Amino acid sequence: MAALSELRSPRSGSPAVSLPHETGGPDDALVRAAQRGDRAAFGLLYARYSRMVHGILLARVPFSDVDDLVQDVFLQALPRLSMLREVSRFPGWLASIARNRGTDFHRRAKPNEEFDEESASARSELVPPAANHSSHSSAEANAVLDAIRTLPDAYREPLILRLVEGMTGPEIAARTGLTHGSVRVNLHRGMLRLREILDRKASPPAGGAL
Amino acid sequence: MTTKPTDPEQEKMMNENYLWDASGTPDPEIQRLESLLADFRGAERELVLPAEMPTAPRGFRGLLLRMPSLPRLAAAAILLALGVTLFFSLRPKHAPDAGPAWDVTNLQGAPQIGAKVIATDQTAAKLHVGQTITTNSDSRASLSQADLGEIRIEPNSRVRLLQTDPNRKRIQLDVGTIHAAIWAPPGTFVVDTPSAVAVDLGCAYTLQVAPDGSSTIRTTLGWVGFHLNGRDSFIPAGAMCATRPELGPGIPYFEDATPAFREAIARFDSSPRDSLARNAALTAILSEARTDDALSLWHLLSRTTGPERAQVYARFAAIVPPPAGVTRSGVLNLDQSMLDLWWNSLGLGEISVWRFWEQSASPQPSPNSQQLIQKKQSLLKPAP
Repeated sequence: MAALSELRSPRSGSPAVSLPHETGGPDDALVRAAQRGDRAAFGLLYARYSRMVHGILLARVPFSDVDDLVQDVFLQALPRLSMLREVSRFPGWLASIARNRGTDFHRRAKPNEEFDEESASARSELVPPAANHSSHSSAEANAVLDAIRTLPDAYREPLILRLVEGMTGPEIAARTGLTHGSVRVNLHRGMLRLREILDRKASPPAGGAL
Repeated sequence: MTTKPTDPEQEKMMNENYLWDASGTPDPEIQRLESLLADFRGAERELVLPAEMPTAPRGFRGLLLRMPSLPRLAAAAILLALGVTLFFSLRPKHAPDAGPAWDVTNLQGAPQIGAKVIATDQTAAKLHVGQTITTNSDSRASLSQADLGEIRIEPNSRVRLLQTDPNRKRIQLDVGTIHAAIWAPPGTFVVDTPSAVAVDLGCAYTLQVAPDGSSTIRTTLGWVGFHLNGRDSFIPAGAMCATRPELGPGIPYFEDATPAFREAIARFDSSPRDSLARNAALTAILSEARTDDALSLWHLLSRTTGPERAQVYARFAAIVPPPAGVTRSGVLNLDQSMLDLWWNSLGLGEISVWRFWEQSASPQPSPNSQQLIQKKQSLLKPAP
């Protein structure tokens, strides 16, 4: 259960974790069709779950690498899908692949670092500010994302899915295979922690801005 | 399943409906964060699937997977023990170093691995399994591995490295053009495209994938196999072949065929369900066919049925008489051994190499592989 083993206890307050849904999922028929080699069904699963995978990866790897890794996660899942015996576990299973791919990214990335002159912070600036955003708000967005990434896994994942990917709590629960209760508690506690961090950054003891 | 609130913190949480499901009174702070972070949201990028979808494994592996948990675990444990024993008893003293990554060289402009630009003077760039190399309209790059060969990536291309096992190297060409010069044993190097799988059978070739997923292959040395869902096309040096998504490999033909022949092949390939257009195209193909076009006629045997197949047989037999052991009735029934015999008589490649690949075996290098390597390397030398 890699998906659950990564939900470690934060310093204050334990993340709420309970077992994924045991009953049949709404996408079971799609998963079964994809297991039989149905391309359209796998395409629909991609459409439904790519935001979830994107969010899980964004919680772990630089934004500039996430799109490629999303594709990679689905291409890794494709040949293994036939081995998934309980199709209702698909959401949690896919989330595990995404988490493992995010972890694996850092392990594999190390040999490349010698030729990558850009630092991690410089890479995060690859995020183009939207047309209606100033460079200041782009820098602030990067700072907020960095702050979320300092949170424990159990909090940063639902927060990114909610605040970045625009998913609601029930959607997050359905797409990750976690219970509503777990997601709800972790969203709330994560938001409290994020507010604390942002408040500290906004009013540092020696003065200065975010 | 929901959690009943039991403490003040959770009670407060239950009031934060906007955070939970975006309902209720919007929280200005959360709205501000949503707006700030929206730029990080995933782009709606199309997933490029391999041409062939994997399905549930059959045979012993499939049986193992369908077994109940306990017997499955026991069987898996026995297999693991056997595997470990075999590995340690049979492994060579100096295991070949497959290397997890391929060397990447910037040939022009600013090709990228993921989001990282490969510098012009970069000598240590590596492409790892799962990574993607992309070129824009002004950049080119090359991939190489000592025991495989070299792959040049032309502008506006996207290539993903899928597998680097000692016996199987696999990339995916989503879009763009590659030139491959391969000296690994036949069947080792495989390219997935959106409309077919290209299998190197000891050769140099150019593979082009259009944005709509269709692709074209041109072989300059040796031969290549194009494969999709049981449909195979073999493309020897001097020939080319097109593939289309869902339809798979078309009929290969030599590039020096008459324009009328080539045009008829294109019409035949593009009208699989229009029997009138297809029949007219077939008539033109058969009337225009030269001796060299036996390549196309051999493929047409398995792409036609009934009277059409009999027509193809008659023309093919007139150009290249069937060798001993090949009968009309056998060919009309698509007897594979007879079709293989007839293919081999064309002198375009030994089909057993392909059958070997189909069985996922590991073919041995051909006796003249060194000669091929020299030829292929000379093909890749830049023009003076």
